[in-house]
Amino acid sequence: MESAIRVRSLTKAFGKNVALEGIDFQSHPGINIILGPNGAGKSTLLKCIDGLYRPEKGSVRVFGQDPYTNDGLKSRLSLLTENYALYDFLTVMQNMSFFGRLYGLRDDDIAERTKEVLGQLNASEYIGSKVYTLSRGTKQKVALCRALLNDPEILMMDEPTAFLDAYAAQAIRDLMLRFTKERKTVLFVTQKIDEVTRYNGMITVLRKGRIVKQTTTEGLYRSLLKDSYVNVRVARPIGIADARHIPFFAGTNQDRATFLKFKVSSYKDINIITGHIAKMGSYVVSVDYTEPFIEDLSV
Amino acid sequence: MDFSNAYAIAVKDMKEVFSSVEIWGPMLGVPLFFSLMLPLLTFYVTRYAAPNIANKVLASTVTASGATGFNAVFMTFFSINVLGPIFLTMPILTAAVIAADSFAGEKERKTSEALLATPISSAELLVGKIMASFVPATLLTVGVFALYGFVTNWLAMQQFGVSILPTLPWLMMLATSPFLAIVTIGVVVWVSSHVKGTKEAQQISTLLVLPVLVIPFISILGIVDLTSMFFAYLMLVLAAADVAIIYLGIKSFRKTAIR
Repeated sequence: MESAIRVRSLTKAFGKNVALEGIDFQSHPGINIILGPNGAGKSTLLKCIDGLYRPEKGSVRVFGQDPYTNDGLKSRLSLLTENYALYDFLTVMQNMSFFGRLYGLRDDDIAERTKEVLGQLNASEYIGSKVYTLSRGTKQKVALCRALLNDPEILMMDEPTAFLDAYAAQAIRDLMLRFTKERKTVLFVTQKIDEVTRYNGMITVLRKGRIVKQTTTEGLYRSLLKDSYVNVRVARPIGIADARHIPFFAGTNQDRATFLKFKVSSYKDINIITGHIAKMGSYVVSVDYTEPFIEDLSV
Repeated sequence: MDFSNAYAIAVKDMKEVFSSVEIWGPMLGVPLFFSLMLPLLTFYVTRYAAPNIANKVLASTVTASGATGFNAVFMTFFSINVLGPIFLTMPILTAAVIAADSFAGEKERKTSEALLATPISSAELLVGKIMASFVPATLLTVGVFALYGFVTNWLAMQQFGVSILPTLPWLMMLATSPFLAIVTIGVVVWVSSHVKGTKEAQQISTLLVLPVLVIPFISILGIVDLTSMFFAYLMLVLAAADVAIIYLGIKSFRKTAIR
């Protein structure tokens, strides 16, 4: 199947500052993630794909066309940027009407779609409010609503759950997953490993303007949990002498422990640990790992 | 080009401008103040200082007006030749304020990211934003001229028993304002693509008022007569500039200028 997005040898610079260099990327139906620290070039890549920036070298093709020169292509895409990009002195509905009209939608369709999406995000009550009166999180919900107005085939998002409370963040994740069930493409950028591991998606790790790894959630766990520590919480305490017989045991600070530390060389070791604990008659409540900083992520 | 998209952009920009008292307050307040205070100044000068000033004004300039009677002639001269051009700064200032907010403001507030992600063309964006600045600037100028004319006439009727406005040169002066507005918007578009924010765009663009403010001086000195023919020539020059600006603008304007 032809990729909706295909980027070849892309280089983008701002003056002498090279933001992206030699980027090769192609999307897959479903969730595609660009992961990288601040300044990696994630947002710039998204804007190149949306046609906001013209590449210095290389090419960007969306549905086989150049997004920088094909205005009509934009009706099939949507971009939710890190800035909510709404008009502060207009109401939520006025913002939606404006953007909806530019997508060629009828007013009643715009109103229906707005109510539907804001309802899903638990933000219907703000439909008549001016944007500047809203909290940062609510603005983010409204911006997502705007991004979904045109029912895009490709949805691109820059840190979509930043500034959101847990409920709203989960609502956005659910919305993204529903979107992908229609075989559409979601491409989002983030610097949060925790966000990435919530999806079984294709992950591109970007650092200093270059792609350093293209992987999957499983592959990312392989990197994350290589020679690292995990903490296991159990419901029934385990004596220290018994705990020492569990493979990979690395310590605890209790004689009869409900919180144990293990050093694993792979995520597969976790199954061995939990299997042993179950055989000992205890119950695993949770397995946590210390998430590395994205800057320290070994790829 | 889809005019409905340009219209939607223009309506959105106007709604934004008139939703913020910080923008429309000074934009309406200053012209209103001028259109009330300047006729009073005209009246005061005519009533108390005219004889001394009149000696210094060239006869040919004074006789350009059609009024009769010293006071009426002088008040007509002062209203059109000295204070009239001040009102020609209104389309420039208003268009500069709105256009700078419209073009550079989108960039500054980063709303351009969402706007440019829609399927609008560069021509639709440019025409929409020109309309958003042109319509309020022109309507405001017409309103201000009307109010200024009304107050001036009322004072003239009360004191001298004559109605002195409108005259043909005064109406021709008013007719040049839409052409001035378009020139201003053209300059703002160009400036906005080279600066980071609204303030820089406004400050540079409002320099356009300087040539207009020279008009009263060259009129008093008798270098030019502000006749109907003068304004007809001025309109021709401005119209040519407008055509060039719109043609070159649509041809060369890129949406990314507001990015």
